[in-house]
Amino acid sequence: MSAARIFADHAAGSAVRPEVAQLLADLYREGIGNPNGGHAEARRSRAVLDEARATLADAHGVESRQITFTASASEALALALGSELRADGRLVTTATEHRGARALAQRHEAAGGTVHLIPVDAYGVWRLADFEAQGAVTLLTIASGELGVRQPLRDVAQVWGGDEGGALIFDGVQAAAASQLNFNELGATHLVIGSAKVEGPAGVAALISAPDRRLRSLVAGGGQERGRRGGTEAVPLAAAFARAYALMAEERDATTKHLAQLADAFDVALGDPAHHGLLATGPVDRALRLPGHRSYAADWALGDDLVAALDHAGLAVSTGSACISGSREPSEALAACGFSTAVSRGGIRISFGRTNQLEEAARAAAIVAETCARVRSRFAAGAPA
Amino acid sequence: MSTSSLPSGWLPEPTADAPERVLVALSGGVDSSVAAALLVEAGHEVVGVWMRLHDAADRVDGGRKSCCTLDAADDARRVADQLKIPFHIQNLEREFADAVLEPFIGSYLDGETPSPCVGCNTAVKFGALVGKGSALFGCDVVATGHYARRAVNVDGGSWRLRTAVDSEKDQTYFLHGLSSEAIARARFPLGGMTKAEVREVARARGLATAEKPESQEICFVPDGDYRSLLRARGWAPGVGEIVDEEGRVVGEHQGSSGFTVGQRRGLSVAADAPRYVSAVDPRTNRITIGRRESLERREIELTGAATPAGELPRGVILEGRARIRHRGVLAEGRLVSRGGGAATLELRDPLWAPSPGQTVVLYEGETLAAGGQIRAAVPSHA
Repeated sequence: MSAARIFADHAAGSAVRPEVAQLLADLYREGIGNPNGGHAEARRSRAVLDEARATLADAHGVESRQITFTASASEALALALGSELRADGRLVTTATEHRGARALAQRHEAAGGTVHLIPVDAYGVWRLADFEAQGAVTLLTIASGELGVRQPLRDVAQVWGGDEGGALIFDGVQAAAASQLNFNELGATHLVIGSAKVEGPAGVAALISAPDRRLRSLVAGGGQERGRRGGTEAVPLAAAFARAYALMAEERDATTKHLAQLADAFDVALGDPAHHGLLATGPVDRALRLPGHRSYAADWALGDDLVAALDHAGLAVSTGSACISGSREPSEALAACGFSTAVSRGGIRISFGRTNQLEEAARAAAIVAETCARVRSRFAAGAPA
Repeated sequence: MSTSSLPSGWLPEPTADAPERVLVALSGGVDSSVAAALLVEAGHEVVGVWMRLHDAADRVDGGRKSCCTLDAADDARRVADQLKIPFHIQNLEREFADAVLEPFIGSYLDGETPSPCVGCNTAVKFGALVGKGSALFGCDVVATGHYARRAVNVDGGSWRLRTAVDSEKDQTYFLHGLSSEAIARARFPLGGMTKAEVREVARARGLATAEKPESQEICFVPDGDYRSLLRARGWAPGVGEIVDEEGRVVGEHQGSSGFTVGQRRGLSVAADAPRYVSAVDPRTNRITIGRRESLERREIELTGAATPAGELPRGVILEGRARIRHRGVLAEGRLVSRGGGAATLELRDPLWAPSPGQTVVLYEGETLAAGGQIRAAVPSHA
């Protein structure tokens, strides 16, 4: 009889919180629909949307009008970049960006623009010294879901140096659950936040923009979102996003503590990763690490193989460098940290969430240990990785 | 020797007496889908995998019929979902490149006719995949949707392939490289069924792939155009001579690697009767053509001649029926081993247009006794 499965891929997105799911169901049942109309039903819908916007604005110290709802964080990022970046402009970003950001950067380069990458150290932490981003459009992901890095933000302002012709765009999707993100304190021109990583529904995110910025809509439409994004607003999703965000923010300290305990329990149960043929990746310094996040790499198996074997053993984790399933492409983030190609192909991350139990963390470590021992010994003969 | 029997000392494969943990290679086609369904219904613990073998996987197939595109992976995933079995994508690009793609290209550039499916089955499906299945999922056996059966020796420890019940679909030719150990760990649930029965099973169970058309082309050669693959790999065709069997120059061609023995298409020469390529020489970029009957051979030299138990020892003579193409004509003859993988296939009736690089198999009754690759063929009128 096998024990219950353990879900430890919360950095990819968690299940929707029950109270948020309840709110969604209520709103759909209530018939909340198009907020753009002259009748009582539309006004009710508009009120729900306004409230959601106000909740998110409060959480980030901005005005409601600074918030644009989108269908995904990738869309919000594209909206910000599309509004700020001229075709021949200079884009500054980092070597460890997630795939969505990297794809936008590659497209910009292909279209004739220039891209400069901020290097990282062996732990994936930005090396901002000697880097100069003045006048450029700068895109920074505050926390990396792959390596679990929570980047130190104190040096950003001096590198950035002002927005003469440029813009400072932060992706705060992964960071929000760990740190309060105050828009003005960040000195941001734009900030992307998302719902799926705060136990809200997928399919909704938002772009927070400085009041003086004009957004160029990606989809021409009926003037929704102040003309910044065409398409009828998904009011129940926006409301659920705001509710999930507010609940997350309320419980952030307690959750962070719980996640730290989970990671500790995991560490204790796992022992030295090297005994299992694993190399710990990402920051060692806890202040620089997302709570509840651990990442490793093996040079004797593909990350996808380990994910499949762990899945089969009842533990859901991921490589964190989500791409085409079964790809042999090395992780750019691990390569940027200086790891060999073999190691960069063998990355996995374990990310606990609020709903995980301490018992699960210890059991997860046991599954990792057993699975690594088995896979490693059998691969040793044929070395299929 | 009967053509529809097992040779003495060989028995039909026993049915599994206990549930097994089976890795099924799902291609996204109807055959492997039904293979998986039958294993699930027989009570085995089944894990479905789809193999990512080359970058054709990044394309959608636009209605074409390949097993190796993203659409095929989606179909495999849907079937796994219908059968409620775990499903994983397995990357075997490196193994495929080493065992199939590079030898395929090298073979054509050497003027040979490669059999890529043989290498894929031997080294990838029943080689690397078996290792991965065991390491990652604890599966000790691998099943596919091939039409083949197995036979076990009365000694209980050695195995051979046995032809499928549906002789039109029999795929033992492509599986000939499997060793006795590999056959022991292989499962072919469709070996006793006809294609029509397989379709019927798929329809009855409402499998997503029930009406999917056959895939025939080489999976990594889109549209069957291997010449464009060679060009993409640096082959720069040059104009060369076409000569007849007396050595007279009778025309020219655009590059010898674009031709294969037995080919008729693409020869722009005037002649009284159809002419076929009888030899390809990549060193001189020259191809030789001849009449149909001049391509008949009674003596074929092999390399890599082996039985499932291993390389044929020197002096061994095996009698049986040989074939040089999947579903090709079967010719009575004997295989005489000279050791080191070298052997001569001596045929009572000739086989037509054997080409260096091609796979040869020899059946003893219903069992596949030996196989190898053609090194050269001696003209039968010589």
